[in-house]
Amino acid sequence: MSQPRQFLLPDVGEGLTEAEILRWSVKPGEAVEVNQILVEIETAKAAVELPSPFAGVVAALHVAEGETAEVGTPLITIDTGSDEPTREAEPAALLVGYGPPPEDEPRAPAMPSTVDSRPLAKPPVRKLAKDLGVDLARLSPTGPHGTISRADVQAAATPPESPHETRIPVRGVRKHMAAAMVASAFTAPHVTEFLAVDVTQTLSLLETIRARREFRDVRVTPLAMVARALTLALRTTPEANATWDEAAQEIVVKHQVNLGIAAATDRGLVVPVIRDAGRLSLRELADAITQLASDARGGRTSPSAMTGGTVTITNVGVFGVDAGTPILNPGETAILAVGAIRRMPWVVTGPDGAERIEPRSVTQLALSFDHRVLDGAQGSRLLADIGDVLSTPGLALL
Amino acid sequence: MTIPSLAGEPARILNSDGTLAESPEHGVTPGEVDLTALYRNLVLARRLDTEAIALQRQGELGLWPSLRGQEAAQVGAAHALAEQDMVFPTYREHGVALCRGIAPEALFGVFRGTTLGGWDSRAARFHLYTLVIGAQTLHAVGYAMGVVRDGAVGNGDPSRDTAVLAFLGDGALSEGETNEAFVWAAAQELPVVFFCQNNQWAISAPYTTQSRVPAAQRAAGFGFPGVRVDGNDVLACFAATRDALNRARTGGGPTLIEAVTYRVNAHTTADDAGRYRDDEETRRWAALDPIERLHAHLRSTEALDHVEREADAFAERLRVACRALPEPDPDGSFLHTYAEPDAELARQLDDYRGGAA
Amino acid sequence: MTVSMVRALNDGLRRALETDPSVLLIGEDIGRLGGVFRVTDGLRKDFGADRVMDSPLGEAGIVGTAVGLALRGYRPVCEIQFDGFTFPAVNQIVTQLAKMRHRSGGALALPVVVRMPYGGGIGSIEHHSESPETYFAHTAGLKVVTCATPHDAYWMIQAAIRSEDPTVFLEPKRRYWVKGEVDERDDLPLEKARVVRDGTDLTLIGYGPSVATCLTVADQCAERGRSVEVVDLRSLSPLDSDTLVGSVRRTGRAVIVHEASLSHGVGAEVAARVQDGAFYLLEAPVARVTGYDTPYPPSRLEQTWLPGVQRVLAAVDRTFSH
Repeated sequence: MSQPRQFLLPDVGEGLTEAEILRWSVKPGEAVEVNQILVEIETAKAAVELPSPFAGVVAALHVAEGETAEVGTPLITIDTGSDEPTREAEPAALLVGYGPPPEDEPRAPAMPSTVDSRPLAKPPVRKLAKDLGVDLARLSPTGPHGTISRADVQAAATPPESPHETRIPVRGVRKHMAAAMVASAFTAPHVTEFLAVDVTQTLSLLETIRARREFRDVRVTPLAMVARALTLALRTTPEANATWDEAAQEIVVKHQVNLGIAAATDRGLVVPVIRDAGRLSLRELADAITQLASDARGGRTSPSAMTGGTVTITNVGVFGVDAGTPILNPGETAILAVGAIRRMPWVVTGPDGAERIEPRSVTQLALSFDHRVLDGAQGSRLLADIGDVLSTPGLALL
Repeated sequence: MTIPSLAGEPARILNSDGTLAESPEHGVTPGEVDLTALYRNLVLARRLDTEAIALQRQGELGLWPSLRGQEAAQVGAAHALAEQDMVFPTYREHGVALCRGIAPEALFGVFRGTTLGGWDSRAARFHLYTLVIGAQTLHAVGYAMGVVRDGAVGNGDPSRDTAVLAFLGDGALSEGETNEAFVWAAAQELPVVFFCQNNQWAISAPYTTQSRVPAAQRAAGFGFPGVRVDGNDVLACFAATRDALNRARTGGGPTLIEAVTYRVNAHTTADDAGRYRDDEETRRWAALDPIERLHAHLRSTEALDHVEREADAFAERLRVACRALPEPDPDGSFLHTYAEPDAELARQLDDYRGGAA
Repeated sequence: MTVSMVRALNDGLRRALETDPSVLLIGEDIGRLGGVFRVTDGLRKDFGADRVMDSPLGEAGIVGTAVGLALRGYRPVCEIQFDGFTFPAVNQIVTQLAKMRHRSGGALALPVVVRMPYGGGIGSIEHHSESPETYFAHTAGLKVVTCATPHDAYWMIQAAIRSEDPTVFLEPKRRYWVKGEVDERDDLPLEKARVVRDGTDLTLIGYGPSVATCLTVADQCAERGRSVEVVDLRSLSPLDSDTLVGSVRRTGRAVIVHEASLSHGVGAEVAARVQDGAFYLLEAPVARVTGYDTPYPPSRLEQTWLPGVQRVLAAVDRTFSH
């Protein structure tokens, strides 16, 4: 059987690309042996004779004398007519076959470590942040590989004023307050009860107190009186000084009243806490409130002073407002809003039992409570007790 | 181009017509060496060389440095080696490799591009080919320093006393490192024999470009003996090497042997010798052919015919084996640059395996 | 034990000679003289001329014969007398030492150490203040290490001798006589870098002679309220990417200091790895404070040519200005 084998022009001189066929030594039909000289070729370096890789009969010559062929071109076909075990001659000088490379595996990008404590950002983004005065540490990255992107920086930077709107970035205290409000409002079922209280007697008591020697250096305000009334009322309804522990399914009644006083500052709402307010005398309470307010206005309230509160008072009266539906400080059960003290017409019963209308100093109290912890009776009683002490301060002697 | 005038003829035992010289400097006692075995190795060495050139012309090898004409120098020297001796070749000592028992196709790997080494050099006591001219002479000297420190010189024990045989060409005589090797070997009286095959050409540079005096004469300048032999006389090469190796292993120090021979073919298959030398010179040297003279001496016998047939079978096996040489392991470079790849190299290996740039 | 680096090297070589009979030293003037820097002082007397060998004058011969000795089963430790005289040996180092394992497919190991003093700052003449480390670091198959302290000198020379890979061991000659504490324990593998000083704001990366410079700079920075970390590379090939990149990932700033010329030096490779591994954490470009792209100057000029404390401080300042 015939097995035609081709002999391709090899690179005989280290990187040659072509050769000219000078002279054939064989012709078609002629029998040839292994290593018998077939042809003389001329390369850029030298004239070279090519010996036959196979034995057999010449079937055809493919390149004529005088023609130039490129390396790899078939020169001659020889019918070997046998099961020649040797492989066909490789044409090129590059016999080193590394084979096709294995299937391309997608290479995972080098991921930055997630344990870095510093923000990740490309150098140009860092420069942008610096130029815009943005602190990278406060941003949440949305770029690839956990990096802060250019867009993140631009979103955080103060944008230019638009005639139709002003954008205020949500940061710092405001951000914190917003989070707290949301947490509280959508966790605890809030009920707010209102009570209008005639505080005329409390105000007149305040005058008396202020005149006393031991109160000379102390600033006592109606707020202090309200705070005192609240702490007294909590003795009767201690469950209002508690927290709802969802995980443990327990109501944790705190033995100590840590009274938070909501304060409005330049940076927003802060609620510094007076610890163990229940044990403080009015003077001590007044002192604490004064100090607290001063620190808050000066921005000196320390973070530790704002933790551990168990109940809160918010004085909306300073804004000239009567009442509201205050939102609980997260973790607390009750918050008392105190409105402005107004001169209002009030029905007063004289000593003769006759009713008449008199101008009295009246304030609105609004108590919001967590209806998981307190039922309506408890909340109402707490509010009523506060109102009683403020309308008839002498009851505090009881 | 003429052969440079020599200070006397090189030492000879076997004349070019096959007769023995009158009183050779070195002797070979009858029965000392098996002439038929010598003849066989000469024929196989030439046949290996011939087949390799054909394979190169067929594209199976990228390159081949031919030893044609130098068979006697190589086979003669190799027959003088003791088993424990170490050889440092250049890149043309295919005849020595055969005598040392290296599978002939193993020599092809370097020139086929499937390896940079190709054989177990420790087991064969035949170092890998060194392509940087002259570099191996220092390796041989260092090896000989190790032999001395092992106490394997001058014990009077021919099976243990060790010598080192370093091959070099005439071109290498000009390399600084070769001369440094001579300095070290001489100053320390090391057990090393430098065997220079002066085949008259370093690519296109005739011997006179390297030196005005015969190579063997230079040894005196360094302080050790130089011996000049007819490199086409297998018996003289054997005898001179035997004597030098014995001198070395008994503690007598180094010797430089200059085997005057001829590089019949071009430097390699990529070279064109016609550009720098004329055919007349090649024809002149053909009359001094090393194999023919031993054939003439032995006369035609059945044993010699058997050698011819063996050579044919040998050639066929070579052709098959060459084409069957295994492709190199692609990971090999990465795994054998250091004892262990470091982290960066391991990463690069991953890259390489993945086909990434 | 507080000793000079020379003494530490001497002790390390002595220990190697004692524990492994295949170890031997070859070099010019290392035997009778004990070495031009006395690093091999006293060793010939105790171990003999065969193991502490005064070689002929020829660096190619020193390294070439070491190849042959290694093939015979020995562990030669070559000394090149000065950095500037390495070059005749480079042929044997690059074409033979570095490649033999690869050439033999892993069969032939050459556990050879080539030691040399390097670097400047000692007021010397031409060719005696070179920093040729990059030639070797760029040669696949060679390991290149350098000690900065007596402790590292003592332990690293022994580790290099034990290594199965040919190793170029660079000794900062300007630190030869500085004394330091040598701990009883070898605490760090040969190819690891060392954080020699912790810091948070910037990483100074140096090796060999520049480590002491970096530490001085770090001290001065501390006085000005900046916390600077100093990393001693120790191994130039391979480079300990984990440690050096890890440090810059923490600090965000890097300044590399080396005596060798700027362009194509070790600093360039370190900078490439830092930007690759710490790109998103870099506060400033990686800076290099190095010798200039000129041959080493006459020694009267070397103090301004070398990367001294003031130049490094200036680079640190520039880094912080970004």
